[in-house]
Amino acid sequence: MTLARTLLLTGTAGLGILCLVPLALFLALPENQALFWIGNILARALIYGIIALSLTFLATYGGFVSLAQMMVAGIAGYVLAMTVQGAVPVIIGGFGYPMAILMALLASVLAGLAVGAIAVRTNDIYLLMITLALAVGFYRFVESNIDLFNGYEGIRNVLGPDILGRRFRDPMVFYTIASGTALLLYLGVLFLVRTPFGLALQGIRDNPRRISALGYNVVLHRIVAFGIAGFIAGCGGVLATIYNIGISPGSIGLGATINLLIMSVVGGLGHPVGAFVGSLIFAIFDTFAASLYDRDRFNSLIGAVFLVIVLISPDGALGLSRRLGRLLRGKPKPGAPPA
Amino acid sequence: MVHALELTDIGRRFGALHAVRNVSLTVPSGQRHAILGPNGAGKTTLFNLVCGDFPPTSGRVVAFGEDMTRRPASHRARIGIGRTYQTSLLFTGLTVIDNLLIAIRGARKGRLSLVPSASNGQDIRDATVLAERVRLAHRAHHEVATLSHGQRRQLELGMALACKPRLLMLDEPAAGLSPAERPELNQMLKDLPGEITLVLIEHDMDVALPISDMVTVMKDGEIVVQETPDRITDNPIVNKIYLGQGHG
Repeated sequence: MTLARTLLLTGTAGLGILCLVPLALFLALPENQALFWIGNILARALIYGIIALSLTFLATYGGFVSLAQMMVAGIAGYVLAMTVQGAVPVIIGGFGYPMAILMALLASVLAGLAVGAIAVRTNDIYLLMITLALAVGFYRFVESNIDLFNGYEGIRNVLGPDILGRRFRDPMVFYTIASGTALLLYLGVLFLVRTPFGLALQGIRDNPRRISALGYNVVLHRIVAFGIAGFIAGCGGVLATIYNIGISPGSIGLGATINLLIMSVVGGLGHPVGAFVGSLIFAIFDTFAASLYDRDRFNSLIGAVFLVIVLISPDGALGLSRRLGRLLRGKPKPGAPPA
Repeated sequence: MVHALELTDIGRRFGALHAVRNVSLTVPSGQRHAILGPNGAGKTTLFNLVCGDFPPTSGRVVAFGEDMTRRPASHRARIGIGRTYQTSLLFTGLTVIDNLLIAIRGARKGRLSLVPSASNGQDIRDATVLAERVRLAHRAHHEVATLSHGQRRQLELGMALACKPRLLMLDEPAAGLSPAERPELNQMLKDLPGEITLVLIEHDMDVALPISDMVTVMKDGEIVVQETPDRITDNPIVNKIYLGQGHG
């Protein structure tokens, strides 16, 4: 199947799911509950799914598990909040949303490139440690520079631009924009991995020594991959800041960084769609933890879910669904000897 | 005349171990040059020095008149040095065609392109031709992880040929091949175009000698003999190295 055909089919299927789910919710639930699901669960799952997509893109196709992706999203969020007109308190201000969003995305790409350059010689546990150190360092920097970032309270009143006369934060408007962005970025990743750059990135994942001997500059490739992941995380960061009506250090702290890793692993690092599966599972548990068990025990609950999924299926919920599918169809495990 | 490869007093130390010492070697363009020697002779280290996996601690590496001593491995591929490895180093998560595509694009501009290149169709045709040339057309769209050892060695050769090398360096291409797979490899090596300079490390003399114009024998990191293939088997030093003291 050609790349164009794959993208067309995936795009149509994705669009179908993203349109049908709200429709089904409106048909099955009262309007206020349907809007709650759309605004509080699906939209949130899409936003954090986008940020998790940046991590999954690096991990799946480059073999780099970066813990700095929430930091990169936070940089985009802070640049937006600091520069846009109407945010409280005014740090820089004066820019309309289009320009502020553009600057935020540029900042996230630059931050991604910087993370890539700093971590360029590290792999595996060392890459995890260096990106974790960057994430925690940035969190402390934001927290302690009160004049620049307004400390714990953060920057508020980032409401987003009006879209065709409707508020950006209207659940349906927000959902439409978040789902459109998520779909475009998802298709973008699927497209990118079939380009010369994307194939070489997978070559770096499998064998960096060989790819270098074939004429590729591994260092440059890695840095550019982090820059692209920075753009993806930046899109998520902008949406998250508008969704939360602002940004504070808590949204980029160690807890948020770990949560993003949990979403990616729970969904599965084998395919980019795992990012969205993981973020949806996470959003559902986060929302209904109080009803299921106890709101204060959310971390225990999601920790248990994480443990169960990782123990049963090391490749996350995606791997689990593939196994179940094979079991139901009665097909043997790939590589298993014929009966 | 510009030689394909000129090594001058090249050496490499790993701590106290002197893996390669004062090796000087000239390989004229178009020559088929075999490097023989027992395990630990420094053959693969010599290859890695030529290919830029790590720099020499002494001496100079010149390829096609250009000083390569401190150049990165990626640059050497771009000037036309292709190589294979003793243990297959392939992209096991990708298909045979994808491996060949990566290899074809490595030495070209546009390898960092974020959109499919204008030459995409031609690249795929070239990769398909290469897959046929190394007898892997029937496995072209299979993941490398599913290939047999022999097929992986064939793909290694295909990837080394993909950048249209002027100098091809093969590190034990017959390693691990069954007797049934060796004739196919021999034929592939014989079929290589005459303008490609070939430097070959091989333990199996039946593979190395029929295709070589010159043979260099190494021991303990040094060159001990350099002879034509028809005279090498009669050389007492070579017999001593390969067969033991009584045959020297």
